[in-house]
Amino acid sequence: MSNTIKEVTRRCFLKVAGVATVMTVTGIHFVDTAKAAALDFIGKRQTSVYNADANIYAVRKSQDNPMVQKIYAKDGFLHDGPCGHKSHDLLHTHYTDRSAELKKVRAKGIKLKL
Amino acid sequence: MLEIEKVMSTGQLPKSADPTTYAMVQVDQDKCEACGNCHEVCPTGVIQAVGSDGKHQVVDPAACINCGQCLLNCPYGAIYEQVSFVDEILAKIKDPNTIVVSMPAPAVRYGLGEPFGMPPGTYVGGKMHAALRKLGFDLIWDNEFTADVTIMEEGTELINRIAKPDKKHPLPQFTSCCPGWVKFVETFYPELLPNVSTCKSPIGMLGPLAKTYGAQQTKTDPKKMYTVSIMPCIAKKFEGLRPEMNASGYRDTDATITTRELAYMIKKAGIDFVNLPEVQPDPILGESTGAATIFATSGGVMEAALRLAYEVLSGQKLTNPDIKAVRASEGIVTASVDVPKFGKVNVAVASGLDNAVKLCEEVKAGKSKHHFIEIMTCPGGCVNGGGQPLDPNIRVSDAGSPLLKTYKKRFGMC
Repeated sequence: MSNTIKEVTRRCFLKVAGVATVMTVTGIHFVDTAKAAALDFIGKRQTSVYNADANIYAVRKSQDNPMVQKIYAKDGFLHDGPCGHKSHDLLHTHYTDRSAELKKVRAKGIKLKL
Repeated sequence: MLEIEKVMSTGQLPKSADPTTYAMVQVDQDKCEACGNCHEVCPTGVIQAVGSDGKHQVVDPAACINCGQCLLNCPYGAIYEQVSFVDEILAKIKDPNTIVVSMPAPAVRYGLGEPFGMPPGTYVGGKMHAALRKLGFDLIWDNEFTADVTIMEEGTELINRIAKPDKKHPLPQFTSCCPGWVKFVETFYPELLPNVSTCKSPIGMLGPLAKTYGAQQTKTDPKKMYTVSIMPCIAKKFEGLRPEMNASGYRDTDATITTRELAYMIKKAGIDFVNLPEVQPDPILGESTGAATIFATSGGVMEAALRLAYEVLSGQKLTNPDIKAVRASEGIVTASVDVPKFGKVNVAVASGLDNAVKLCEEVKAGKSKHHFIEIMTCPGGCVNGGGQPLDPNIRVSDAGSPLLKTYKKRFGMC
């Protein structure tokens, strides 16, 4: 059942208006609204990104970038290709286990979300 | 303290060479209203109430991943940045013996227009290059180029892991572009480190390439080069300071600034940003593709990697590069991509570390069916990074509503 605008009774209108007023005054929905507004704002940036990908950039795949092809060419700087020796030295890394630091944080009695 | 695009900053260089000893953000006790918003949005909960008045603080840098979501979401502007390279960069630009290199991230060009009154998300890539040139940067290189290189490296790594799985390099492979996520996994899930791609982030690649290949190609002495990472991100300041980031024989990244700090520099120089022409970056390490620019948003690294993996695994051209199944605005997105001659590539994309935790637990339990997982710390991805211009709806003072403040105090709603 969907009410058309004409079928809204006075009583029903007052009820809705009353609830709306209470919500406005107490700010119950403030957090939700703020979150929705933030997502909308970020959504505009995201939409713009995909729009640029589709309409501004002439080339759309990394492997088709002429400068990428140049750097990986047989006589290029990274001539042994992606994940080759030179790449390994310059472009790949290792990670550090930092869990001991976390243990110290917990030992101080600091409570975290995880 | 100085104000940079509505965010306070100490304006100071790093306190010490070891970035693990201090957090990149902290709470100004005089401005904190004890509302708890920051704790709510903090992935680890390390920003928390101290003392009886409920004012918040980053209580230990070890559990802070420097993402700056607290700073973006503070209604009172109470959270400030502790590290700024702006003054040092301005001095280097003035020094005729220093070759200053710009390295802006993809997401910068989707936020930089906003401080100049342009609508949210306006693409300003060309104007950004023009502004960098006007500011006096000597080489206008672009981190989007190394986003493309990252796809070549990380896509190849994924294909290798699928072909020859081993204990040192197991599946699923996690992305490693997001510095908040990397510090998080090192701290909270070190057992998953073998799953993390060994690739540096795009900026981690551009620094060393600038001082080796770039220096060779432009006949520049790498000793004179000063590389400036321009990021939508505060955690990148930590990444730039990592001691291991010196593969070029020098510091790979000399300085890191945010989108807000770049806007501040452009305004300070009196540049009329909105009316700048569209300028191309310099050759060698500047050119980029649509696959690189989508790194700016959650799901972008995944889509860019699939555009490569599809062609390598199937030996066929991918006619339509749009892979909309992995485009994520929130939560966890999973997809199974059919690749001819190979089968299904199972992928997951998550932004926000509460979502990442779910995927981490799955992998830890050995229950993950995914080949490749993309994690971004900030909800929505880098466009919503801690270094981006603020959303005008967050600040109480901006909202111009004194009532709002009263309600919040009275009801403690946020």
